[in-house]
Amino acid sequence: MTAIGIKTADKAVQSVRGRAKPKPRIGAHVFLIVLVIYFLLPLWWLIVASTKDAHGLFSGTGGALWFDKTFALFDNLGLLFTYNGGIYLRWLGNSLLYAVSGGVGATALAILAGYGFAKFAFPGRRLSLALLLGSVMVPLTALVIPTFAMLSQVGMTNTIWAVILPSLLNPFGVYLMMVYATDAIPDELLDAARVDGAGELRTFLTVALPLLRPAAVTVLLLSVVGTWNNYFLPLAVLSSDNLFPVTVGLGLWDGLANSASGTGTTSLWSLIILGSLVSIIPLIVAFLSLQRYWRGGLAVGSLK
Amino acid sequence: MFLVFLVAPLVYAFWLSLFSKGLATGTTFSGIGNYVKAFTDTEFLGGLLFVVVFSVVLIPLQMLVSLAAALVLDAVTTKLARFSRLMIFVPYAIPAVIGALMWGFLYSPGFGPLAQLFGLFHASAPNLLGSHEVFGALLNVVTWQWSGYYMIIIYAALQGIDSSLYEAARIDGAGPWQIALRIKVPLVASALVLILVFALIGTLQFFTEPQVLAPSSNGAITPSFTPNMYAYNLAFANSQINYASAISFALGLVVFIGVYIFLFATRKKGRIV
Amino acid sequence: MKKKALIALVGLAVVSALTACSSPGGSGGSTPAATDKPQSQADKPSNCDNKILYPSATRVSLWGWSPTLPVAVDAFDKAHKDVQICWTNAGAGSAEYQKFSTAIAAGKGAPDVIMLETDHLNSFLIKDALVNLSDYGADKWKSDFSAGTLKDISSNGGIYAIPDDGGPVALMYRKDIFDQYGLTVPKTWAEYAADADKLKSAGGPAIGDWPNDTPAFAQAMFAQAGADTFDYNINQKTSLGVDIDNAASRKVLDYWDGLVQKGEVVTTGQSSTDFVSELSSGKLATFIAASWEPGHLTGAGFTRGPGSPWRVAMLPQWNADSPVQVNWGGSTYAVTTQSKVPHAASEVAMELFGHENQQTLGAHFPQHVKVQKASWFVNAEDPFFGGQKANKEVWIPTADAYKGQSYSPFQDYYYQQVTAMLTKTTSGAESSKAGLSKLQSTIASYAKAQGFTVKTK
Repeated sequence: MTAIGIKTADKAVQSVRGRAKPKPRIGAHVFLIVLVIYFLLPLWWLIVASTKDAHGLFSGTGGALWFDKTFALFDNLGLLFTYNGGIYLRWLGNSLLYAVSGGVGATALAILAGYGFAKFAFPGRRLSLALLLGSVMVPLTALVIPTFAMLSQVGMTNTIWAVILPSLLNPFGVYLMMVYATDAIPDELLDAARVDGAGELRTFLTVALPLLRPAAVTVLLLSVVGTWNNYFLPLAVLSSDNLFPVTVGLGLWDGLANSASGTGTTSLWSLIILGSLVSIIPLIVAFLSLQRYWRGGLAVGSLK
Repeated sequence: MFLVFLVAPLVYAFWLSLFSKGLATGTTFSGIGNYVKAFTDTEFLGGLLFVVVFSVVLIPLQMLVSLAAALVLDAVTTKLARFSRLMIFVPYAIPAVIGALMWGFLYSPGFGPLAQLFGLFHASAPNLLGSHEVFGALLNVVTWQWSGYYMIIIYAALQGIDSSLYEAARIDGAGPWQIALRIKVPLVASALVLILVFALIGTLQFFTEPQVLAPSSNGAITPSFTPNMYAYNLAFANSQINYASAISFALGLVVFIGVYIFLFATRKKGRIV
Repeated sequence: MKKKALIALVGLAVVSALTACSSPGGSGGSTPAATDKPQSQADKPSNCDNKILYPSATRVSLWGWSPTLPVAVDAFDKAHKDVQICWTNAGAGSAEYQKFSTAIAAGKGAPDVIMLETDHLNSFLIKDALVNLSDYGADKWKSDFSAGTLKDISSNGGIYAIPDDGGPVALMYRKDIFDQYGLTVPKTWAEYAADADKLKSAGGPAIGDWPNDTPAFAQAMFAQAGADTFDYNINQKTSLGVDIDNAASRKVLDYWDGLVQKGEVVTTGQSSTDFVSELSSGKLATFIAASWEPGHLTGAGFTRGPGSPWRVAMLPQWNADSPVQVNWGGSTYAVTTQSKVPHAASEVAMELFGHENQQTLGAHFPQHVKVQKASWFVNAEDPFFGGQKANKEVWIPTADAYKGQSYSPFQDYYYQQVTAMLTKTTSGAESSKAGLSKLQSTIASYAKAQGFTVKTK
């Protein structure tokens, strides 16, 4: 199993080209087209809907999957970026800040912890591991209030740290790094470095780290996506709307749109729909342009 | 330090679960009282039953879609296939909140696409978020959101298989179907098991999608629809933090047992730790 | 755990000590901010949504989601050199309440002043989360509010919140549909049902909606028929009167279920966007709504001005000779017990919407009696209702006649259970009698489990 796993990681990228091409089959292509339509349908709806004003949305002429006679995309865009003092842009900026700092930090911690678990025997290792994996099983909702209470004891609720610090913990990332480090870094290599007189830190930086890069890229991507898409943690620990990431901000608008007394005379629905579209563009672009890097790394997940 | 930061809230939450407090009473130590209550609480058990049934239906469905897609993509290497691979994966990059929101609009019997479709036949569209239909509606959202991610994992594992194996099989007279079923599937079994474990943990903790769709469901998605929603509502809407913690841990226990039984059944026990 | 409880106790003691020291009734001329302990720079709330005009003044944090707040906050800050509001939109309704509850549980993190709907006041009073504003001079505002409003914000003689927006309930109807089918605007529920029959037999749209997911509306309907569901007062914190299974509520349920069964009323959930779509495409002839609804629907792209098909009339009655008016929603501002500057905070709560010249935005209906009597308000023509003088003809008389309602100390739980009951009774799976008696026993046993002594009337 393990042997296959390692090959998986290394070969995933290169073997695409190295394979003899079987003849394309019609059945397979029809299947793929159906799948693509299914997976893109909601996105198509989102694009169409973001060109409508509120009237077009609820009683427009084009129906749900086609454009209305009024094309309001540019009006909506203008409103989106200026509504409430341009708070939407702030939300996007916050999301970026949380995702990047949380993602990079979580990856660094995962590398250190994974490497530690994989290559060092220390007392309580098994217990720590069991706790680490057990923590994946307990739903996050149980932890929200204790986390809130702990953060408020040190005065950090409603600050950016309340989002970033808990985001640094990624048990799954640690697990992934541990499994990968166990197999990808031969003990002999570490011993050789130590014999040559390199300190632990130097050994880690020059020998282990380069070997861990494919897994690190994957953990980085997974943590960035995880933090960008996170909803309940920031919802619970933040109360100032100008600290919100974009998911919570859109949730706030959704609540206002439905709460009746909250909307005033602005059509929040159009803003929510367009805001959703704009907010998913950065991640989709990042995924599509970086696919060369993460596709190989994801295979690490199949190591067992 | 890393573990302390993670474990401290866990321990604190567990500590909370050992007490009970009523709105009109003070806090008292109740030991395992909350747990006894949880496992006799029809709302908790009802939610639990739902997620178990949901897992049983969802996971095979999801596996089938993602495995089929991965096998096809592995066998076909046209431009269309490469394009499809990316598009099928796109939903993973979309926050669950937004995904559920979009489907909520698409499900609308008033102005969704179904309304138009049925309107052609002068019939009124079914309410996909009614109490009977909501199961399928949620099934669809989750399949849509996660199949692409699972597909990529299986696909990557497939790409790692030594292609000389296929040559050998072809010489032995195996057709493409046989290669797929007899060689490819068994060789990516470990990836499948991993996905199953993820899917199981995720589904038993099912929360975001029903929570987001609940307001549009006219009461069909109740506050105790899934155990995790129940815990959330107890803690935040009904101020029963102690009992909510107990529910969360009870759910964690069920998830743990579920995953363990599953790993045992697939003879993978011990490998996860 | 213990230490935290102790801190909370000390905090409470400090608050009450301050209360005891301060001169009761706080005359208008003094500067309340001066009576608070000086606020250190670090204690000043930051990340405000509004601009602080006087940085050195005492800063009061405020959570609220009303669309009128940006204007009102700026006006307040401009007029008060010694007190500045730092406003945050922490979410609408339950989103904000959940944050507030978390902050109460953690003992930290609540704002000084918070926007709350009247039906949720008891739910926070029982947690000792709200300051008795009578200790900070709120009693002098009593004459500015109607008796019904006053009942909603008071408990045991103390005032715990200052009302702003109200939610008088009335009948919105489509003039075009009424004209087309020759209907008269119903004055009683019997006439409403007759109109429904007429619409149905002429092949017209449904007359209205009876949703499962809007328990506050159902509760308002129960109250109109004479139900007095709860009896709660904070001077007897652990005692609760519950009367759910009563003739009035049964009458309301049977009435609506009957219309639903005949296919004359739809059951679309009102928090779904579908409902908005049905309203805008003429599938409903009427909508029982509160005064804030036009603002909501304007946001959904409804036509305003002369072309608007919507008009508004007084709520139909069970007995036209003794009409009963009700309220649905409505917001207030309360001071939290976590506030370290309760005097300044009380000043904010009382004066934010406490002047008669406030400009209203959207469909804001001020509870302040002087505003309700101001001629610009009385004679305002509402473009949503095609220029109808809605305030004068409907909203003001409805608000005037409102007598107050009763709420439980666990209103969210009650509402969840009402929704659960409605999903059964409306679909016909359960009779109104069975549904209400089950609800009664569910609520009574929940209250007992929470430590209340339950009195059933």
